Amino acid sequence: MIGDRILGIALLLLAVVYGWEAAMFPEPFGGSEAVGPETFPLILSVILGLSSIYLLVRPDEDEEWPHMKMLAELGFVLLVLAVFTLMLQPVGFIPATTLMVSVLCWRMGAKPLPSVVTGVGSAVVVYVLFNFLLELHLPAGLLKLGGGA
Amino acid sequence: METLNFLLQGFAVALTPENLMFAAIGAILGTIIGALPGLGPANGVAILIPLAFSLGLPASSALILLTSVYAGAMYGGRISSILLNIPGDEPAMMTCLDGYPMALKGKAAEALAISAIASFIGSLLATVGLVILAPVLAKFALRFGPAEYFALFTLAFATLGGITGKNQVKTVVAACLGLMIATIGVDITTGNQRYTYDILELYEGVDFIIAIVGLFAISELLFFIEMHAGEGFKKVALNKLKLSMKDIIQVLPTSLRGSILGFIAGVLPGAGASLGSFLSYTMEKKVVGKNGTFGEGDPRGVAAPEAGNNAAANGALVPMLTLGVPGSGTTAVLLAMLISLNIQPGPMLFTQNAELVWGVIAALFVGNLILLLLNIPMIGIFVKLLSIPPKYLMPVVTLVASVGIFAISNSPLDLYFMIGFGLLGYLLRKLHIPLVPVILGMLLGPEMEKSLRHALTISDGDWTILWSSGLSVGIWVVAITGLVLPYIVGPVLRRRMAAAQDKEHSIVD
Repeated sequence: MIGDRILGIALLLLAVVYGWEAAMFPEPFGGSEAVGPETFPLILSVILGLSSIYLLVRPDEDEEWPHMKMLAELGFVLLVLAVFTLMLQPVGFIPATTLMVSVLCWRMGAKPLPSVVTGVGSAVVVYVLFNFLLELHLPAGLLKLGGGA
Repeated sequence: METLNFLLQGFAVALTPENLMFAAIGAILGTIIGALPGLGPANGVAILIPLAFSLGLPASSALILLTSVYAGAMYGGRISSILLNIPGDEPAMMTCLDGYPMALKGKAAEALAISAIASFIGSLLATVGLVILAPVLAKFALRFGPAEYFALFTLAFATLGGITGKNQVKTVVAACLGLMIATIGVDITTGNQRYTYDILELYEGVDFIIAIVGLFAISELLFFIEMHAGEGFKKVALNKLKLSMKDIIQVLPTSLRGSILGFIAGVLPGAGASLGSFLSYTMEKKVVGKNGTFGEGDPRGVAAPEAGNNAAANGALVPMLTLGVPGSGTTAVLLAMLISLNIQPGPMLFTQNAELVWGVIAALFVGNLILLLLNIPMIGIFVKLLSIPPKYLMPVVTLVASVGIFAISNSPLDLYFMIGFGLLGYLLRKLHIPLVPVILGMLLGPEMEKSLRHALTISDGDWTILWSSGLSVGIWVVAITGLVLPYIVGPVLRRRMAAAQDKEHSIVD
């Protein structure tokens, strides 16, 4: 119940802001037409607004939400993915991937050693496969020795 | 005659060694993707799109690869249904009913073989149906003007929840979200900036491939972690195959009936593969299962839903290819592929890109045969793959998905977007907002707005043009029925599906 109510409020806000912005679009160069850049967004805004009011009035039963510890866990997973992205170019594909895959395996319940083995293995296999077989160049980063591409 | 000529040309495309190889690779990958629980066909195809894209494959090869993945995933779905009692995807649910009891009786290999044969018959007949029906529908669709298309796009959203959809308003919300994301960027007609907030990266809009991979693959990873599903599932051991000609003949009539029902369910908007397999199972139970052997490991109970869901999967390609309106999640993802290859599906596809379309259709025939040949002798290998625990598999899948996204334009920003969409997908799924309409909204948004514009330009601003022809009125009526009908028949159908499942569980326990 509460989940859908919060969703309803958030969507209603979104609909209003989205519609408001559409109404504020400057008139396009060359004069206005029957359907301007704002028409379609305005229609969407009205439909979303009405739907969100329905959700507020008749919310569904709630799904069970994870407790704080699990939310932290899921947040951590997203963080790991973000760190992977951050490391990718400066540090290179192989270290970034090893870190990401190992940590993810570990968080999914694997023991540390097999996790690291999976991490290193998948990093090297994917790197070799992409760089040499498929000829898509992944960032080598710190591992780039000498003048190799 | 004309159709046959085109089809022969199609085979010429599909049978080049290169494309044959892509079909085989796709078939193998697809079977694996379909077999692994939690990695449905939509997910699998989504992960492979950026790869096919960044490899710079020619359009026909990319499409052949991905349609083979699609067909393979439908085959693969049954493996986990039969051995684990967990459907690999939703349409494979009904296969559990008789497949798992058969496996428990020590006939797992037979159940797998029969389901492979039934899948083959289903796909084959449905592809024949596609060959016959698609050109007719494409010709008919040439009469559609922009007003009809606008109505048709609305119809696609209205029926997407399916006849068994729980909360139609949530489908509408999802569609709106997708359409709203599609409006981000520079407006094509006027050049106005919309919702870009002067961020350069948003000028071209949000790339739907990134959204698809984030919404499906990353949210799936989060769900696996939340459910502590890393250890995998207990599966039934595989026995040695003992299948006689008689066993195959016994399931033939069932497979034929299931195929026809499934194909019809696949073509119709809002029905889809789940309903296809449900309908063919329940009909078979009424026709041949009077002595109560269904639900206890009757081979015909395995054949019926498998023929049904494979036929429906191919049937769903009819509206996708001819009208550009997909009826299911996976066909929506295939549509994404077409659009990113700069191919606009719709009636013109059959005239402008005849070679491509018929090549793909021919590849369906070829892929299907490859799948049958793969699935009977090599089933042991696919079964072994099922024993890889998700705790190792999911991180590697996530890696492949991320690499694919990164390879599109070597931009870390795309990856941040993907992660963001992953979080969004998780939240939406938790709130029971379906993801497929979001994707479809992003895909169809630009075309939908364009057809609205064209229609109103023609009518000089008169909005009644949207419902002024008989054809468009008809489409609107179907759309509204599709939106309202689930409220009336949905509860009944859902109760029946649940009852069938409960009965199954009481037998197994």
